[in-house]
Amino acid sequence: MVVRGGEQSGRSEGPGLAERIACGDALAVQELVERHYAELYRYAFAALRHRAASEDAVHDALVRALEALGRYPEERIRGMSLRPWLYRITLNTVRNRLRARGREARLEDPGALAEPRGDPEGVMDALAALRLLPERQRVAVSLRYLQDLPYAEISAATGWPEGTVKTLVRRGLIRLRAAMEQEERSRGGER
Amino acid sequence: MTEKVAGVLRGAGESIPPPEDLGALVERVLEEAADVLFRVGSPLGPVFVAAGSRGVTCVGRAGGEEAFVRRYRERFGRLLVPAGERERGFAERLSAALAGRRVEVPLDLERMTPFQRRVMRVVRGIPRGEVRPYGWVAREAGSPGASRAVGNVMARNPVPLLVPCHRVVRGDGTPGDYGFSPREKVRLLREEGVPLEELSGSPYTATPTTGVFCHTTCRHARRIRPENRLPFRSPAEALEAGFRPCRACRPAAV
Repeated sequence: MVVRGGEQSGRSEGPGLAERIACGDALAVQELVERHYAELYRYAFAALRHRAASEDAVHDALVRALEALGRYPEERIRGMSLRPWLYRITLNTVRNRLRARGREARLEDPGALAEPRGDPEGVMDALAALRLLPERQRVAVSLRYLQDLPYAEISAATGWPEGTVKTLVRRGLIRLRAAMEQEERSRGGER
Repeated sequence: MTEKVAGVLRGAGESIPPPEDLGALVERVLEEAADVLFRVGSPLGPVFVAAGSRGVTCVGRAGGEEAFVRRYRERFGRLLVPAGERERGFAERLSAALAGRRVEVPLDLERMTPFQRRVMRVVRGIPRGEVRPYGWVAREAGSPGASRAVGNVMARNPVPLLVPCHRVVRGDGTPGDYGFSPREKVRLLREEGVPLEELSGSPYTATPTTGVFCHTTCRHARRIRPENRLPFRSPAEALEAGFRPCRACRPAAV
């Protein structure tokens, strides 16, 4: 198993950003968004595959995060590891949206949920394949490879033990490979 | 072979189009998730004012900005960020309202109990330059006899000046206590033109020309000529002397 870039990205939030936000530093909020919005958005988009829905999900997650920072006692904020915590909240808002969408899709025409034009196609193929995975595998594989999160942070974000995360990622990759090979074979057969 | 799959996924992750205007995003998030901090001038000197989407939650003076933000977080469980250019209009209205001008500024008193909110509404209606006793506030708030409870609400008034708790005085007409300091209360009332010396001897004033008695600072009482002014220590005394309560300032239940 190859572990890439885990060490640096594990500390990317820098010291004291959460504390600065709690002290009313608006620039610190700006900094938080600059550092983490893109990756959280990427995660949301991989799952929801819809620009506006992903933006809304990350917006909700950030609002919840800041509201929580308003409520937490100082000791908790001081010892905080911001990145996995932000992921944890984003995982929840994305999952809630997926569930709500599942309910809607049963009621409405599924075409209404198709992604808008203008998104690169290869991306959509890979993301479509991800959707074939069971939920926990999909989350683990997305965090590991789309997001490049180290196992320790995936474990912190999901609450699953690290060993479980590794297993989920391995099984997910095996399944994806099988799905992609089948896809290639069937495409080859047509030609 | 799974290496190849991982590579495809990494590529996919990198090619997801990034969001565009982060500045606007930050603003939208803050608008929902944080309350806004103003620093404005007031008769008490520079004060900090915090406001959420429903209105002003807190007016305070103690310590610096950081201390105020920390205390606010502890008390209200919300983040505070300094007001920007967009809130300029609101800041101006705030400073006018704090100065005692008749400018409506929405207040957010959601965290208070129904009794506390009724008290705050009554006190908010006491005009500049006039004072009312604690007992009167209690009665007007629908809880006659609860003047001590009114005192407690005033002592913890989160929005002094906007809800003018300095205009609530003791039954004998003396100023009584104030959250910041009793001296400050006296100064504020003097600045508003409240005749404190006259008041402490006679919180009620009647005139034989109309047979009506008022709170001494009621706008009607202040028009009574010096030769017609009859001082009283309590509504009971004035009633006993045959006067009826003023309809504007309601010094006694009718």
